[in-house]
Amino acid sequence: MEKISVQDVTFTYGSEGADVSAPAEPAVENLSLEIEKGSYTAILGANGSGKSTLAKLIDVIEVPDSGRIVVFGKDTSDDSVFWQIREKSACVFQNPDNQIVGTIVEEDVAFGPENLGIKLPELRERVDQALKDAGIYELRLREAASLSGGQKQKLAIAGALAMRPEILILDEATAMLDPRSRDEFLAVCEEMRIRKGLTLITITHDMSEAMRCGRVIVMSKGSKAAEGTPAKIFADISLEQFGLRRPVIIKFAYEIARLAGVTLTEDDLSGEARLRERLTKILTSPDLADADVPDEESDAADSDRRKIMSVKDLFSSYDGGKTFALKNINLDVYEGEILGIVGESGCGKTTLISHMNSILKPSSGEIEVYPGEGVTLRCSQKKDVQKIRQSVGLVFQYPEYQLFEETVFKDICYGLRKMDLSVEEQKERAVTAAKSVGLNKEVLRKNPFELSGGQKRRAAMAGVLAMRPKILVLDEPASGLDPVGREEMFALIRSLRAGGTTIIIVSHNMDEAAAYCDRIICIRDGEAAPAETPERLFSDREKTEGFGIDQPKITKFTDQLKKDISKRIPDVVFEKIRFDPEEEARAVYRSVLKAGRRDVK
Amino acid sequence: MLSDISLGKYYKADSILHRTDPRIKTLLYVVYLVVIFLIKSPAALCALAGVIAVQAVMAKVSLPVIWKTVKPVLPLAIFIFILNILTIKQGNLLFGWKFISITDYGISRAVLMGIRLIFLILSTSLMLTLTTTPLKIADALESIFSPLKIFKVPVHEMAMMMSIALRFIPTLIEETDKIMKAQVSRGADYDTGTFFNRVKGYLTVLIPLFVSSFRRAEELAVAMDARCYRGGEGRTKLNPLRITGFDILVGLFLTVCAAGLVVMDLTLR
Repeated sequence: MEKISVQDVTFTYGSEGADVSAPAEPAVENLSLEIEKGSYTAILGANGSGKSTLAKLIDVIEVPDSGRIVVFGKDTSDDSVFWQIREKSACVFQNPDNQIVGTIVEEDVAFGPENLGIKLPELRERVDQALKDAGIYELRLREAASLSGGQKQKLAIAGALAMRPEILILDEATAMLDPRSRDEFLAVCEEMRIRKGLTLITITHDMSEAMRCGRVIVMSKGSKAAEGTPAKIFADISLEQFGLRRPVIIKFAYEIARLAGVTLTEDDLSGEARLRERLTKILTSPDLADADVPDEESDAADSDRRKIMSVKDLFSSYDGGKTFALKNINLDVYEGEILGIVGESGCGKTTLISHMNSILKPSSGEIEVYPGEGVTLRCSQKKDVQKIRQSVGLVFQYPEYQLFEETVFKDICYGLRKMDLSVEEQKERAVTAAKSVGLNKEVLRKNPFELSGGQKRRAAMAGVLAMRPKILVLDEPASGLDPVGREEMFALIRSLRAGGTTIIIVSHNMDEAAAYCDRIICIRDGEAAPAETPERLFSDREKTEGFGIDQPKITKFTDQLKKDISKRIPDVVFEKIRFDPEEEARAVYRSVLKAGRRDVK
Repeated sequence: MLSDISLGKYYKADSILHRTDPRIKTLLYVVYLVVIFLIKSPAALCALAGVIAVQAVMAKVSLPVIWKTVKPVLPLAIFIFILNILTIKQGNLLFGWKFISITDYGISRAVLMGIRLIFLILSTSLMLTLTTTPLKIADALESIFSPLKIFKVPVHEMAMMMSIALRFIPTLIEETDKIMKAQVSRGADYDTGTFFNRVKGYLTVLIPLFVSSFRRAEELAVAMDARCYRGGEGRTKLNPLRITGFDILVGLFLTVCAAGLVVMDLTLR
């Protein structure tokens, strides 16, 4: 039987490898696993658990120090079959920009088969077919650099497919995509698996993505920690120690099961529709346990909050008024809130926050910042611009890419040096800022490029926080982090808010926007709707669709579940939606209990 | 800001020159380079202007685009013009004041040099950059210099490096823009201050840009490995260069024009 077989493999990156900070630690240690031909496998694990190294070992970019890897009967350490294995497996990596070689789309797709020496006309036929399979045939003559992120990643898939591989490895390939592009991208890969019998291996931090797979392998510290169907893996709560988190729907289901005092089987968890059916059955059963579900306290009413920023009739244009990136934006931001800005990639979110920081000048309109009682800063007043930049801290996406000093301390001080502060004051502020993001004094002396990914991001955030902004604007603060890193990032954001900073978050992750924001503003094609609470925004599916955004996964799931329940218990009145899956489970349970469930049809 | 300058940028159109084989265009470009520096007589220069106008028509490039191409070199052309006027002492003195002396020969030389520079930019743009994608230029150079492979010159590798460099220009421009914005929001100021401070300011952009370029290079190398890149040996091409009768016709026509210009210049001199 044909399979990929990893047998007791150990691999350490050589001293010339990229990761100097952790030398001699094996990236993969005594790893054994098997992946069957044509299967769909997810590989999960925290950052640094050896997932990407495994991908490189299978694709013969690296060769094991000890042990063997046999891909469909061929040993990767055998030089004579080395190219044959590599031809059979294709990889798509995380950053689409760094895997595009050709200037023009079709030239890039042709790169792989050109290397294989495929001659015309077969070459042309392969390229066209791959472009069609990936759904980007009409873009074939475009410049690759002009594509959107989602399109670029489809281009990477086309480039992989044109090599006619038998194995397709996705190495965090969806991490930088917005939810829509992510779904489209996975749909292409999954269709290819079924149509062409591809073996699909996906390395991911997205637990919901793992739910789509047939099998999950969990890695920790270079070896296999667990293996099984997604249902089995997510049933085992002890796996959270490996940085795994249950998908929201699974969390929801377990809470319902706990309240009702029933156990969910692996079979129940094997698919969304299946699970919904089971939960409907549990919740509408005539002998539903009368669990004691405490009433959750209602949200505090909007007290008299102070306005801290006001965007008035903002228009923004890059080309002197021919086209507008932003059209007539009106928005008030209140002190101490967490405001979310959501929308598809390219809708104008980043442009809007650049205006808030006065990096861009509006074509017309005004942005006012009120840092203290009775003080008004206007972006149109030249003398106010520098003060606005200090009052509104802006942390761009992947802020770690802007670090440049020799030590973390100096980097954090960079903004302070421009502020006419005494040396002691600078030092005091830098240390406080570092502490607030969880970096200790030792880290301050280090070179920023020695830090781990998560630490680098914190260091970059500290550089902005040291300027003591009243408002902190974060562009996709959690992108590229693993589930534990994301949790920590949002815990940090909440603690900053508790410390009195007003927070604005740009995100394309609706689950997180809903869970953490007090109000959300939606932008589509440069136009914004009035800010609303997540409950109001996401409870209306038509409204969210009108803005080209998805509902959070939990809401999507429970929407349908509530409909199914209503069919059986017509007089049920559901509470307002919640975004914490366990809270939502309790709310649903309460509603069903109250509805006089005894008169089930 | 950076997108306003059309010098060195591809202009998308479907024209005679766009369709011509890039190798022919590269060779024609060299021919015109020589012609521009050979010709001296005013009549021949006018004729050359006429030929360049014909090339512009053949390239379907509009006047505004041509203006955008020439505009950035105008300061340089004026500088060269003034430099020539002031430094050339031969010929009849027209104007003299202290160390400044302007001669008739100096003026004619200065005009000639200024015009040459502008013609140079125009013919480079029309023959190559405006009408040929960077990748095709790299292809053409690889093909033209392929005989050097006998002497172990890594022609393919050099062409590949060039085309990858070209491919990453927009990506790096975008990245530079992002980093600059991030530093500006931390209080960086790239427009005011002393020269030294400004140069120092740019380090805050250059260092992160360098670091990220190395990271990109590493990731790109892995991606190229994964796509089975193993040098030029045995590689095929999706769009191989092929010279057709049409290319030869265009080549002949423009070569004859060039020859005519030289003959004209020599007889009129």
